[in-house]
Amino acid sequence: MIATIGLLSILLAVAASGVLIVRAWVESRAPEPKASAIRLPVAMLLLGSLLAFAALELGILTDDFTLEYVADNSSTTTPLIFKLAGAWAALEGSIVLWGAVLAALVYFVARRVTDGDRLGLTALSIIGVVSLFWFGLMATVANPFAVCTELAGRACAESSWLPFVSSVAPADGVGANPLLQNHILMAVHPPMLYVGYVGFTAPFAFAIAALIRGEQGSVWLERTRRWSVISWAFLGFGILLGAWWSYEVLGWGGYWAWDPVENAALLPWLAATAFIHSAVVQRRRGMLQAWNLILIIATFSLTILGTFLTRSGTIISVHSFTQSGVGPILLGFLMVVVIGSLLLFAWRSHLVSSAPRLDSLASREGLFLLNNLILTVFALAVLLGTLYPIVLEAMGRARVSVGTPYYNRVTIPIAFVLLLAMGVGAVTPYRFARRDVVWPRIAAPLVIGLVAGAVTVALGVSSVPVVVVIILGTFVVATIGKEMLRQSGKLDGSRVGAVGRVLRRDPGYWGGQMAHVGVALLAVGIAASSGLAVREQVRIPAGEAAAVDSYCISYEAPTSRVEPNRSVTGAILTLRSADCSSELATLEPVFNRYTRPPAVATPAVRTGITEDVFVALATVPGDDVVLDVMIFPLMWVLWAGGLIAVGGGMWAVYARKRTRERVTAYV
Amino acid sequence: MSETVRRVAGWGVAALALLVIVVGLLPGEADADPDQREQYLSERIACPWCDGQSLAESDSQVARDLVVIMREKIDAGWTDGEIYDFFASSYGEQVVLEPPLTGWGVALWAVPAAALLTGGWVIWKRQSR
Repeated sequence: MIATIGLLSILLAVAASGVLIVRAWVESRAPEPKASAIRLPVAMLLLGSLLAFAALELGILTDDFTLEYVADNSSTTTPLIFKLAGAWAALEGSIVLWGAVLAALVYFVARRVTDGDRLGLTALSIIGVVSLFWFGLMATVANPFAVCTELAGRACAESSWLPFVSSVAPADGVGANPLLQNHILMAVHPPMLYVGYVGFTAPFAFAIAALIRGEQGSVWLERTRRWSVISWAFLGFGILLGAWWSYEVLGWGGYWAWDPVENAALLPWLAATAFIHSAVVQRRRGMLQAWNLILIIATFSLTILGTFLTRSGTIISVHSFTQSGVGPILLGFLMVVVIGSLLLFAWRSHLVSSAPRLDSLASREGLFLLNNLILTVFALAVLLGTLYPIVLEAMGRARVSVGTPYYNRVTIPIAFVLLLAMGVGAVTPYRFARRDVVWPRIAAPLVIGLVAGAVTVALGVSSVPVVVVIILGTFVVATIGKEMLRQSGKLDGSRVGAVGRVLRRDPGYWGGQMAHVGVALLAVGIAASSGLAVREQVRIPAGEAAAVDSYCISYEAPTSRVEPNRSVTGAILTLRSADCSSELATLEPVFNRYTRPPAVATPAVRTGITEDVFVALATVPGDDVVLDVMIFPLMWVLWAGGLIAVGGGMWAVYARKRTRERVTAYV
Repeated sequence: MSETVRRVAGWGVAALALLVIVVGLLPGEADADPDQREQYLSERIACPWCDGQSLAESDSQVARDLVVIMREKIDAGWTDGEIYDFFASSYGEQVVLEPPLTGWGVALWAVPAAALLTGGWVIWKRQSR
C-alpha cells in the first residue's frame, strides 16, 4: 500500500516536472505570458514530492519491512529520532528528501513569477529539467519504494520495482547505519547540506535563462541574491555540523580530514563564496558579468560532482555509504550540465557581457577580484587533489593518495591572503582608494593585531602559522569593530541602539562583515586547535591516575549497559587539575555496538575556555584502559566562528527583506 | 593627546610587538627531535587499512604497530625519503600522503600556480589606470 502510494507520488512528480518544462517554456515565448499557466504543474510537483516523502516516513515509522529501504535502514529498536532521520540515511531516501527540497524551491520561485515575466518562466523551465532528472532517478534506478521479494537473513536479497508484487518482510530490519544513529547531529547535517546544494539551482537556472534570452544586466543576479546567500549559509552550516559530528562522535580526534567527500561539500561552498563576492561587484559596478555566469555554472556543477563522489562508490571514505547504479547516471548528468552550460555560454555570452573596466586595483572591487582569484585557485587545488587519485587509478596506474599535507600547504598561505584582504576590504572605498583614506582606518587594528601576536608568542606559542593567523584574525575583527564604532558613534542615542541601527541600515554590508568576523574566528580556532594540539596515549590501571599534559586523569571503573538499539561499553574517568586535587569533570568515553557493524568509539570531550580535553578509548576497558588523550586549544572559537559566519549570511538576507532601502558605507 | 604623540606611540607599540614576535619565533633547534619527526611522518603516512586515515589519526592497532616500526627507522637514522620509500614499497604507493613531485604529481602544484599567475595577469591588464 505504502509502496504503491509512494511510487505513484514519484510518478506524479515526474509528470509534473515534464509539464512544467513545456508549459513554462511555451509561456515564456507567448505574446502575453501568463503566470497562471504554471500553477498546476508546480502544485502537482509539490504534492507529489511531499507525498513521496510522507510515504517513506510512514513506511519507516510503521516498520513496514516489505519495503527494501526500510528493511535495510531501520529496525523496530531504532529510536524514533533516528527512524525519522532514516528517511535520508541512505541513497534512495536522501534523493526523496532532495526532491522535496527542490519542489519547495520551485514553489517559492514560482510564487514570485508574475504575468509577463519571461526570465522567471524560462528559469522555471530549467529548474523543471533538473527536477525531472532527480524524480526520474527516483522512479528508475534509485526507487525508494522497491518491495522485498526475497530475503537473505535480515536483509533483503531481491526486490522488485513493481509495488504490488507479492512481497516478503524480515521479522526485523537491519537497523540504521551505526555512524548515523550515534548522534543527533547526523539527523540534522544532511538536510542542511541539501538545502544548500539544492538552493543553488535557482541562481543557476536564472543565469542559464538570462543566457538563453540574451538578457543584459543584473536582473538574474538581483532576483536570486536571496537564494545564493541562503544556500551559501545552509551549505556552510551543513559542513560545520558535519565537522562537529566528526569531532564529537568519531574517536580519531579531528573534525576535518580532507576526505574526498568533505572536499565535495567544500568545493561548491568555495565557488559560491567567490560568486557571492563577485556578484556584489556586478550589482554595484556592472563588472564581471561573464565571470559571474561562469562561477554560478561552476557552483552548480560542483554540487552535482559532490553528489556523484558521495553516492557513486568511486571513492573509499567514511562517507560513501552506497554503491549503486546511480554513479554513471550522475556522471552523465554532470557532463550534460557542464558541457551544455559551457556551450551555451560560448554561444551566447557576448549578448550579456559588457564590462566596464576596473578604475584601479586599489579599490574595494580590486580586493573583490583578489578574493575571487584566491578562492578560485583554492577550489582548483582542492578539486585537483580530490580527483588526482581517482583519475590516476582510472588510468590504470598505482593508487596514490593526496592527503592533509598537500592541502595544508595550499590552504595556509591562501588563508593568510584572504584574512588580510578581508580586513582591508571592509574599509576600502569603491573605484579608487586613497592611501590617506584607508590607512587611518587600518593602522590601529594592525597595531592591535601585532600586540595580540606578541602576547601569543610571550605565552610560549612557537608555531609560525598560528601566530600569523592570530595577528591577521585579530586585525580583521579589530578593523570591523573600529568601523562599527565609527559609524555608530555618529548616531544619537545609546551606543547599543546605535549599533543595532547601523546593522539594519545596510544589512548586505554588515551581514558580510559579520560573516568575516566569523571566518576570522574560525581561522583562529582551526590554527590553534590543530597547530597547538597535544596528543598522548596513556595506559591507566583501574583505580589509579596518570598525568597527561597539565591534567590528571584517573580511571575509576569500567561500565557497560544495554540499550534497545545498542550495547555500550565504556570507562568512567575523573579529570582533575595537574596536581590531582580539584575535580574538573567526569568523563565517559565509550564503544557503541549496534545491530550491525562497525562499532563506534565515541569520545568524551570536556570543553573549556582555553582548551578542550578529548578522551577516546583505544582498548576495551578492563583491569586497565588505554586512552587516546588530546588537548585542542580554543576549540570553541572554531564552532562559534562558524556559527557567526552562517548568522552573518542569514542577517544579510533577513534584515534586507525588512529594510529595502540601500545605504552603503562608502560612496 | 596630540596626533604626533599618538602616531609615535602607535609605531612604537607596533615595533615592540614585532620585535617580540620575531625573537620569539626565531627557529630553535631544528626538527631533528625524533618525537617531532615521528609526529611529522605519521601525519604523512596512511594506515593501509583505515580508509585513508593517517597513522597519526587512526586509532587502530595496525597503525600503532606501524608507528613503532617507523620509530625504529627514525632512531636508526633513516631519512624521510627512505622511510617513505620503505612504506611505499611495503604497502603500496597510496600510503604516502604527500603527493610526490614527479610525473603527474607536478600538476597538483603547477596547475593552481598557473591559474594564479594567469588570473593575476588578467586582472592587472583590466586596470584602466
